Amino acid sequence: MTTIRRFCCNDLLRFASVNLDHLTETFNMSFYMTYLARWPDYFHVAEAPGNRIMGYIMGKVEGQGESWHGHVTAVTVAPEYRRQQLAKKLMNLLEEISDKIDKAYFVDLFVRASNTPAIKMYEKLGYIIYRRVLRYYSGEEDGLDMRKALSRDVEKKSVIPLKRPVTPDELEYD
Amino acid sequence: MASKLGIAGGIPERRVRPIWDAIDSRQFKNALKLSASLLSKYPNSPYALALKGHILERMGKSDEALSVCLNAKELLYKNDSIDDLTLSTLQIVFQRLDQLDMATSCYEYACGKIPNNLELMMGLFNCYVREYSFVKQQQIAIKMYKIVGEERFLLWAVCSIQLQVLCGNGGEKLLLLAEGLLKKHIDSHSLHEPEALTVYISLLEQQSKFGNALQILSGKLGSLIMIDVDRLRIQGRLLARAGDYAAAADIFQKVLELCPDDWECFLDYLGCLLEDDSSWCNGANSDPIHPSKSVDCKLAHLSDEVFDSRILIASAFVQKLFAEASTDSARCPYLANLEIERRKFLFGKGDDDKLIEALIQYFFRFGHLACFSADVEVFLLILTRDKKLQFLEKLMEIRESPATTAAKALEKSLTLFKIQELVGNFFTLPASDLEGLAVQMAEMYCQNLPLSKDLDVQESMHGEDLLSMVSNILVQLFWRTKHLGYLVESIMVLEFGLAVRRYVWQYKVLLLHLYSHLGALSLAYQWYKSLDVKNILLETVSHHILPQMLTSPLWVDLGDLLRDYLRFMDDHFRESADLTFLAYRHRNYSKVIEFVQFKERLQHSGQYLMAKIEAPILQLKQNADNIKDEESVLKSLKCGVHSLELSSETGCRFLSFNEDLQIRPWWTPTYDKNYLLGHKHHIKRTTANVPKAIEKRSLLPRMIYLSIQCASSSLKENMATNGSMFDPKVSLELKILLERYAKLLGFPFQDAIEVLSAISSGRNSSEALSSDLIDWMNFAVFLNAWNINSNELGPDKDACRPVSLHIVNSLLEKCILEKLRSMGPLISSPGSDLPLLVQLVTEPLAWHSLVIQSRVRSALPSGKKKKKGGPAEPTNSQLSQEIRDSIQSLCAVIEEVANWLREQIKSPLDGNVEIILSSLGLKEQNEGPGKVFQILQTSISSMNDAELGDRISQALKSWSHVDIARKIVTGQSTVLSEFLQICELKVKSLQALKLHA
Repeated sequence: MTTIRRFCCNDLLRFASVNLDHLTETFNMSFYMTYLARWPDYFHVAEAPGNRIMGYIMGKVEGQGESWHGHVTAVTVAPEYRRQQLAKKLMNLLEEISDKIDKAYFVDLFVRASNTPAIKMYEKLGYIIYRRVLRYYSGEEDGLDMRKALSRDVEKKSVIPLKRPVTPDELEYD
Repeated sequence: MASKLGIAGGIPERRVRPIWDAIDSRQFKNALKLSASLLSKYPNSPYALALKGHILERMGKSDEALSVCLNAKELLYKNDSIDDLTLSTLQIVFQRLDQLDMATSCYEYACGKIPNNLELMMGLFNCYVREYSFVKQQQIAIKMYKIVGEERFLLWAVCSIQLQVLCGNGGEKLLLLAEGLLKKHIDSHSLHEPEALTVYISLLEQQSKFGNALQILSGKLGSLIMIDVDRLRIQGRLLARAGDYAAAADIFQKVLELCPDDWECFLDYLGCLLEDDSSWCNGANSDPIHPSKSVDCKLAHLSDEVFDSRILIASAFVQKLFAEASTDSARCPYLANLEIERRKFLFGKGDDDKLIEALIQYFFRFGHLACFSADVEVFLLILTRDKKLQFLEKLMEIRESPATTAAKALEKSLTLFKIQELVGNFFTLPASDLEGLAVQMAEMYCQNLPLSKDLDVQESMHGEDLLSMVSNILVQLFWRTKHLGYLVESIMVLEFGLAVRRYVWQYKVLLLHLYSHLGALSLAYQWYKSLDVKNILLETVSHHILPQMLTSPLWVDLGDLLRDYLRFMDDHFRESADLTFLAYRHRNYSKVIEFVQFKERLQHSGQYLMAKIEAPILQLKQNADNIKDEESVLKSLKCGVHSLELSSETGCRFLSFNEDLQIRPWWTPTYDKNYLLGHKHHIKRTTANVPKAIEKRSLLPRMIYLSIQCASSSLKENMATNGSMFDPKVSLELKILLERYAKLLGFPFQDAIEVLSAISSGRNSSEALSSDLIDWMNFAVFLNAWNINSNELGPDKDACRPVSLHIVNSLLEKCILEKLRSMGPLISSPGSDLPLLVQLVTEPLAWHSLVIQSRVRSALPSGKKKKKGGPAEPTNSQLSQEIRDSIQSLCAVIEEVANWLREQIKSPLDGNVEIILSSLGLKEQNEGPGKVFQILQTSISSMNDAELGDRISQALKSWSHVDIARKIVTGQSTVLSEFLQICELKVKSLQALKLHA
């Protein structure tokens, strides 16, 4: 039981119980508002009956040529709404927009190499580990760049895993 | 960087690049050096000067930066060599210097000089966006549109018009103009952006032209909205707003067929089917931040038959949804049934059993979900207490059926406990049953720890909510019995939970409130900090700690809190317009409107206004021991005028409240309610009274300033300290403020004086002042300061005589000592009056000491002063005696407070720890608190490492309840020590003053 709709500024005043979770980063205002100003279709919130915020996803679309892709910047679900496949629903929505509206080649995301539960979840959703990014998180922990090909990438070229890890400065996009 | 480069005013790129590089890498000194050499070669280049200004500003040299940029501006006008690079550089500096109008005038000049230059016009548009000049935005956007005919510029103009209507003072007629502009454009060029269509439709909606909007949506333009359900949702909304409920219901039905789990859409569907306009008429959802949990309904207009038939249709549709629902976790059909039953109740045709049956069905399927109780909350509300209990009984029976996994069984049990909480059992069960429940929960938590043994420390563990509920029950028992042990036990339970897993924010929030109540505010603050509250959460979450900190002696921490919060808000206001422009540039027009409205909402935040007023008051408190320091603080506050301006006229009106109150503990549901304090304290103010409270506080700085002035002039026949004539306006202004203050206290001026005089003469007790004690004492202090002067000025002196220096002394003494004597040791008096005591000393008493300092200073035959009169007048010796007495009296009062504090701090740590531990009743086990705590203790010892896994067993081993008790004692003592230090400094400064008096 969920209403998924575009995220709006007022939701910033209502997501405290989601964001107090220590794994959910509360970014500065210009970060959220830049996403809202540039990619409003990639920023969605899920609401439960009684208007409680269940979780949200924020992302963007960027890249050149065959690197044109959707990117998941953050996806988070409040503890009491976990294990209902809400993250899956939110991810599917972002994938659909990347695929159908923006005609992107793939969707990607970064995850802490140690965050096994999240990695498992993304794998279930069809993401593969494309490459390892050395010391991506604050120069300490490695990140994994995970990808899922979309319909435009007919040969699934975008998801052939790289053999060697890369460093953050080799990344094309943040 | 590339955009900043190019030929600017004839300076080649290679000469400019190193400067920008230096700026970007924050090597400002180097940049300044390079800029100097550039200027030596191009002394008359406005660009070179603007660059220098930019560097100076980044170095913090604002004044120099401004003067250099003004020179650059002048040269720019003189040289007639206008380029966008120079302008944009100047713009950046002027913006950072808060001189938006300067930047605007540069662009206005440039656009006048080089007409029809799109780049410059966009720069000017951006300037107007920054200034929120919607009319000018519109005008320049139209000009651009006329030059190139591009859709985006037209939409810029349309948005600017909408902003005039929504956020400015433009009349609704303007919308017609915008509509006309769009229509004309569509006729010749059509529309190409989905957002443009959204704006067009919103424009029509704002004018209630729903039919037109529907026509457009179903026409060619409708295809701009590429996602079908999005288009259908708009269509449904328009039909409903137009009153065509039947058609709207059809559309919403279609959406539900595509998205069967969309709750909002189901509510819309059902609302339309029942021809209920409550969610469509104006004013629906008036507070988007705190929406109500259930939808309001208007059903009275339907006949019985119509209602029945519509409900049948809805039920049949929900059955269809059930049948088609895939195996996934769609909760909608279940909740839809419940909502249908709820509407029946609202129509007067409710059937308890059916509703209970629907609830049971939902429990069967989703009882294991953590959100179950939250989902059903609104439905339980309509049942009577008996029926609620009946429902609970049925649930208990079902629970007996075996669950598939241990985790699911635990979750279902948890749901049952939550339902008990929801139906009010925590308030109604007898204490022993309640305690039994808590014991059961604690046992369940411990027994199920092995389920979480393989989980990462970052992941939520199974059954974490149990400990929150246990803690809530224990607080409930404390509320009923006033037995300190329950409060301590509640703390122990949460600390235990945090020892097992340190990331549970729910525990931290509960704990910080419990520690605040126990007077261990420094501990509360530590837990608050561990929540890592930052950015926008500062606006929504600070209320957990800020109100307690405002009345505490933890001034450094309070200063940090206020500073971080204000910095966040001010930074946002500074950058918000640029983000709005970003939305314009990316053609997300609906976000333009949203951003501006959001900025306005934050700007009117009650908490923001309060922080802006409390931050200077904190400074005044911190410097009150030294009149010179106080005066320099006052000078930086425009002698208090700044605070007055904040609360004047628009300041206090239309305040917005953005605090997220949902996660507060049950016993303090808002920041001004605390049930544990009993009846005498809570419900001091409600949001409706917040503006009044803020206004009252906003008067303080000015009244302090004027009081100092009045006091200093009194001794020398209207001569102020600097030798100039005392301005009678000072006295007059103070009187006006006193009258305003009295009015805010709920009394006409003379009546307020009478209240004080009744108390000072002993005809009334200070208890009568109750929760406004501090305000009344402040009033007395300022009244006295005014009185000093008005004795010589006004004919109404007798009327005010009830308040004199001496009387204020005795009032303060009386209140402070009364409070002091009523206070037991902090360790065993939760919710003590310590904050009130702190306030009495650090506010009215501090302001009173300033009045005295001012009088002493003006009586001093100091060489520094250019005194025109001779030494003190004969009457001054009498006054001087009065002052000496006052100092003596204040010193004695503070000394008493300090002695009490010393005694508290001195009491041995172990003794206090023992008091806390023994409150848990560890020795005698029959009655009272301690049972839950025992469960935790025995569980730890009985479980083995293999069951629990390394992480949890290590955590349990490191847990020590004695450490927690010690932490509480130290935490309280930190607060007391801070207060003691404040008192000692006050005594010291008063004693020094005595030497001069």
